[in-house]
Amino acid sequence: MEPIDIGLFVSGGMVVLVFLGMRVAFAAGLAGLIGLIWIFWAKKGYGNSEFSWALIVALKTAGQVPHSKISSQALSLIPTFVMIGYLAYYAGLTRALFEAAKRWVAWVPGGLAVSTVFATAGFAAVSGASVATSAVFARIAIPEMLRVGYDKRFAAGVVAAGGTLASLIPPSAILVIYAIIVEQDVGKLLLAGFIPGVFSAIIYGLLIIGMALSIKTFGPPVSGFTWRERLISLPPALPIVFVVITIIFFVYNPFGGDAWGTPTEGGAIGAFVVFLIALFRGMRWTELKGALLETAKLTVMIFTIIWGVLIYVRFLGFADLPGAFAEWITSLAYPPILILVCILLAYALLGMFMDAIGMLLLTLPVVYPAVMALNGGENVSAANSTFGMSGTMCAIWFGILVVKMAEFCLITPPIGLNCFVVAGVRDDLSVQDVFKGVTPFFIADAITIFLLVLFPTIVLWLPGQV
Amino acid sequence: MVSSSIVLSDNSLLSKIDQFLCKLEKSLALLSGVAVFILMLLAVYSVGGRNFFDQPLSGYVDWIEQFMPLIAFMGIAYVHREGGHVRMDMLIGSLQGRVLYLAEFFTTLAILILMLLLVIGSWAHFERSFDFASPLWSRDSTMDIALPVWPAKLLVPFAFGTLCLRLIVHLWGFGRAFIVNDGRLVAIPVPVDPAKQAALESEYVTERYDKVG
Repeated sequence: MEPIDIGLFVSGGMVVLVFLGMRVAFAAGLAGLIGLIWIFWAKKGYGNSEFSWALIVALKTAGQVPHSKISSQALSLIPTFVMIGYLAYYAGLTRALFEAAKRWVAWVPGGLAVSTVFATAGFAAVSGASVATSAVFARIAIPEMLRVGYDKRFAAGVVAAGGTLASLIPPSAILVIYAIIVEQDVGKLLLAGFIPGVFSAIIYGLLIIGMALSIKTFGPPVSGFTWRERLISLPPALPIVFVVITIIFFVYNPFGGDAWGTPTEGGAIGAFVVFLIALFRGMRWTELKGALLETAKLTVMIFTIIWGVLIYVRFLGFADLPGAFAEWITSLAYPPILILVCILLAYALLGMFMDAIGMLLLTLPVVYPAVMALNGGENVSAANSTFGMSGTMCAIWFGILVVKMAEFCLITPPIGLNCFVVAGVRDDLSVQDVFKGVTPFFIADAITIFLLVLFPTIVLWLPGQV
Repeated sequence: MVSSSIVLSDNSLLSKIDQFLCKLEKSLALLSGVAVFILMLLAVYSVGGRNFFDQPLSGYVDWIEQFMPLIAFMGIAYVHREGGHVRMDMLIGSLQGRVLYLAEFFTTLAILILMLLLVIGSWAHFERSFDFASPLWSRDSTMDIALPVWPAKLLVPFAFGTLCLRLIVHLWGFGRAFIVNDGRLVAIPVPVDPAKQAALESEYVTERYDKVG
């Protein structure tokens, strides 16, 4: 049996295990280990005495992956980003953000909903937790929107959709994970997420304003705030801006000169500032212990998938499955952009049933090389490429697109968790109500993704400056 | 974030073993969280020292490499106990009773086999670094300040070993549930549907939100 056939068998087996409900990390690790044993044994002609040799070599190969791959400085960014999220709960940033957004933005048509979008975007970015952001803002923003006459389903939809803006604006753990798996520059990917993240929030805002202008019964603008009231609302919300700006400046200095440090250091400074604010707001050892335990749980979950998938990736290297898949993709007689769109749609479909991190880690080792091949290869120049961008830029662009697709799935039926959580917080809303409420935001997201595909500059301009 | 599972307990021996292991696993997970906190402080010290005192932390990257296994592996059994490792619930979520317990039993057994093999593999990785005859018992060391690497490598088989213990408890739990089938699920993560998970998430967030506003 050829290595490629072994690759197909083992990968198929892994997909079956994942569908059967085996934890993704271990399904990938097991597939990788079995694949390594099989491929080494096949090399020796399947002799009875050679099996133990193949087993030992495979165990030594797989056994070094967890330590050697995890002990890297680049990966240390993930736990600090996760910790920022858990400390942010205790820093009292949610109410402050909503108040500031309301006082500055609520005067526009549909203003309270627009304020909610920007406040959720800000908190979601820093906390990195889409679902939890929706839960928090369902308690803060929905009552205020209902008070001024918003439709309750739409109000719930705003909160559920706003939470999805967590994954693009720095700090974004999922972009770090993407960068590690595809071996691209973490800093450039973090930078690349900023404009599309803000852009998504603006598209949401414009959609709400458009609806407010065309629907008579839409909630009215909220005005009457003095400039003094607006200004005093800013300082409590500033830590959010500080964290985002710090991380950007530690990657890219817009004033020229060197960046201030490494992304890891930027993440750590951001976490430290949020920690100090949380301490000031009354966080003590009990709360800190809770935050550290939650940080550890999410971090370990992420790292377990990473090393599990990396064992599988080690096997894929021997089987050359990514190369064969890339060859097949490039041989298809369809326009490359159509193939790319189909890949993105497949992610949307898969994301309806699977967590974003698991979905990306499991599929990227095979899908990413194929996308690179579609563009003309990892090292292709912009002039010779299919999509009009260099290999590095294509990697960044594709990363932002798949992450956007993954966050889109948090509000799609049947298991869009953000919608469930908003319905869980509000007794007067059913899940169906929330799914109806987020429908306009599907359209907004579809427009955003369409524009990001059509105008890659939105994604690539900022990382192109580094 | 809350887990997509809950774990029930009672007065049985299985539950007592589960509770005992849970304490150990939770302590190790907390150690992992504390390591993240120390990592943050190291970075702040490094940036502060470099920019304000022209004295960066010596061996900063070496320390990160030493801390990462502590962060990445120590909580692995606790996360598994809570049912926190990601999976696709679509099919397993629709199963009930003995079919569910049997499916869980076999996937748990597969994970146990994998982890036992990886304990051997990661131990071999550690052994290549460890030598009683060498200074600091170490055959290899970090780049800048020459910290021995074997302690960090040893953490991997240790953490995987704790996961193996947890998996044995889960096998016992799923096996018991399959044989007895009395609907009393103890010491095993019981999957919850998205609605229940959302309710748990709301409860979790509410607790924290009420403290800070």
